[in-house]
Amino acid sequence: MGKVYVLGGAQTDFERNWTKEGKNVIALLKEVMTDAFNQVGIGFSDIEELNKENRTACFVGNFIAEEYIHQGHLGALLTEVSPSFYGVPSARYEAACASGSAALDAAITKVKAGEYDLAVAVCWELMKTVDSKTCGDILGRAAYYESEGKDISFPFPRLFGRLADETISKYGLDEKRYLDALARISNLNYGNAKRNPLAQTRKWFMNYEQASRRGTDTNALIGGRLAVSDCSQVTDGAAVVVLASEHMVKELGRKAEDMPYVKGYGHRTAPMLFDKKLWEQPKSRYLLPWTRQAVLDAYRRSGLTVDDIDVFETHDCFTSSEYAALSAFGICEPGGELKTVEEGMIEFEGKKPINPGGGLIGCGHPVGATGCRMFLDLYKQVSGKAFGYQVVRNGMRPENGMMLNIGGTATTNYVFIVGR
Amino acid sequence: MSNKLEINTVTVVGANGVMGRNIAAIFASFGNAKVYLVSRSMEKSIEAIEKAYLSVRAESIRNKMIPSDYEHLCECVGKSDLIFEACAEDWNVKEEIHTRIANAAKADGNGKIFCSGTSGLSITGLARLYPLQCRSRFMGMHFFNPPYQMTLCEMTPTKYMDDDKFYFNFMKTYAEKVLYRTVVETADVPAFMGNRIGFQFINESLQMADAYRDNGGIDYIDAVVGPFTGRSMPPLVTADFVGLDVHKAIVENLYENTDDYAHSSFQLPGFTQRLVRDGKTGRKVGAGLYKTVVHDSGRKIYQVYDIAHGFYRERMKYTFPFSEEMVRFLRIGDYEAAFHTLVTNQSQEAKLCCELLLKYIIYSLNAATLLKCGMDAADDVMAAGFHWCPPLALLEAFALAADFEKLCEEHLEPKIVGVINQRKLLDGVKKSRYDYRKFLLAKK
Repeated sequence: MGKVYVLGGAQTDFERNWTKEGKNVIALLKEVMTDAFNQVGIGFSDIEELNKENRTACFVGNFIAEEYIHQGHLGALLTEVSPSFYGVPSARYEAACASGSAALDAAITKVKAGEYDLAVAVCWELMKTVDSKTCGDILGRAAYYESEGKDISFPFPRLFGRLADETISKYGLDEKRYLDALARISNLNYGNAKRNPLAQTRKWFMNYEQASRRGTDTNALIGGRLAVSDCSQVTDGAAVVVLASEHMVKELGRKAEDMPYVKGYGHRTAPMLFDKKLWEQPKSRYLLPWTRQAVLDAYRRSGLTVDDIDVFETHDCFTSSEYAALSAFGICEPGGELKTVEEGMIEFEGKKPINPGGGLIGCGHPVGATGCRMFLDLYKQVSGKAFGYQVVRNGMRPENGMMLNIGGTATTNYVFIVGR
Repeated sequence: MSNKLEINTVTVVGANGVMGRNIAAIFASFGNAKVYLVSRSMEKSIEAIEKAYLSVRAESIRNKMIPSDYEHLCECVGKSDLIFEACAEDWNVKEEIHTRIANAAKADGNGKIFCSGTSGLSITGLARLYPLQCRSRFMGMHFFNPPYQMTLCEMTPTKYMDDDKFYFNFMKTYAEKVLYRTVVETADVPAFMGNRIGFQFINESLQMADAYRDNGGIDYIDAVVGPFTGRSMPPLVTADFVGLDVHKAIVENLYENTDDYAHSSFQLPGFTQRLVRDGKTGRKVGAGLYKTVVHDSGRKIYQVYDIAHGFYRERMKYTFPFSEEMVRFLRIGDYEAAFHTLVTNQSQEAKLCCELLLKYIIYSLNAATLLKCGMDAADDVMAAGFHWCPPLALLEAFALAADFEKLCEEHLEPKIVGVINQRKLLDGVKKSRYDYRKFLLAKK
């Protein structure tokens, strides 16, 4: 099995509202693919050439375009972006908010197996076509809709509010101290987004005090103990990552030595229902044992440990999920999250920076694109192309980055390590 | 007040106005400062705070804003590191206020910084109201409306800083790094840069509406340069939104006090003069260039002022083949095809559209050259102060479909082509830092 290299990619400006711009999905895809190919240094004509020998394919990540824009058959839809995709193998991959990772997983596997030399992951979601209540209901389909989503307003904030409740009770936490830590996580992600020119909230105001003032006019409670400041955004956006075999890298005249590649992955699925996740789990110190297992799998496959990871991307769909990820990553022991947050370890200048570009809370969360956006950000970090939000330690850019992308209530768990 | 140069406490004078209160919120939120809101009465200041915190959507800054009035001005100034004036755009009003502020601060100003948010008055003139030793700490700091959404901040130094730009540079960095503003340094010229470019375009659109009154006039021109040309609001809707009285004040100031090649384009058309005289100053009074009438049945009727006949009529739904086609291409992200349509379509409307957009680009580049701000600055002011596709970015969009220089020769009058050549305006053109794609809407 060969190495899978990351040539690069692009994301759209997550501040944009494509419905307000009057533009459709083809405009979105045309733009992100053009930008990605330009960044990588290939053209649409290269796709045509490679396809003559069946050496390239596209992997589309999207959660639920059928509901948001009444569009299915998303792999085939690429033929509307450019005639260069006529005849190119392409299909859509779905795993709720981890759809981007599912597409990447397929792309990586095909390149690793030697089936294709160039794989393009194209991941996107257009969510601003509906009002926020409808949007919440649509996202409810990432849970077991009949029992956890139907007729419930904003089901996901509620479910992650329950995760917060469970965290407090499992580790016997002081409620105020825990909620303050969540406010710090929110403030941290908004703060990091200020450095990212493509982040949705880069011009918004947020501070620790505002994030702590839950239950006010401007920060209403939305799911149990969680308020608006604890939630990720509703976002329109797309991200593309271009992967290549070693053969392809050489053919393009690039040096493989310093090029980021995929070092490992983990993929585990937990019980769909939140209750079953809690009550039917193996006895564990971890609140989310399947999430932890996916991380362990990635460490094992890469031969790395948490000490080798210089930067993390996590799935902060809510502050409570970023909190739970800290021990899952192994940054701290289960129960040690409070201290980790309070001591600033995960801050931009901290020892284990998480979401330097703002994460889902700060950068935005176009659900189907998120996994791919995270992966792209790892690529940017390890190749020194993250500009304003580039992590630098002792004059060096990160060597390895790890991401955790989850679907549902940490039901689908995808972990990737990108390094050089 | 601290000894080190830090902005911990701010006084905003004229805080009951829309700009005053929303700027106070910017200082209180991003600036994390304690802000005294000074207006005519305590009640007005309290009301202002209730609206101000909502403008940045943050309850947490409510307690950072303290209501006050002119009786307590002296006290507020005494406690503040920065005094920001946001009073009415009237020399006499501002003269009185700044004299009071200067008196309230001690003779040496005690290290304080003084700013005016004026959009048109002379910063140097206002600086003269301060004792000599304070003048290097007085500057223009022009925010745009609404400041939370429009991040532009035009900062204007005066000749009194020639020896000591320390405070000015400190404030520039503060505005950029702490308040997250898009900062552009402009000379002390009438209307600075953003409004000079923006209102040139709007007033020229008004003149065009007058000239094409028999084609429909106001709504006709707005349909010609609609959102598909890089703006969320057509230019004459913008004029109505800003207020025709404000528009009049800005263009008259520019007409009287500037003299560039486009001088005559700042002349306010007669019909606009008449509307202002009749109190029809725009959206804030319910009638201006446009008017919304609510029928007995509750149905809203959207009307427009018919210049040719002098009354309001229903707005027309114009269907121009060129704009229909542009919108169709923009919808699928084909910008090249959209601009190809624009530059090749031979209809009167496409030609008018092309002419207005090219003039906008050229006027912007010329203003940047005249004001010695750099072309990037012209982009900054239009993107961050108006949300219009900035000139360099729009030029790139045109260049997708045609040779820009040739386009100018074909569409613009010889006088303007002469200016382009004489000033070598296109020689200095560089890549825009803005992406035209997000500004060009697939909307009529």
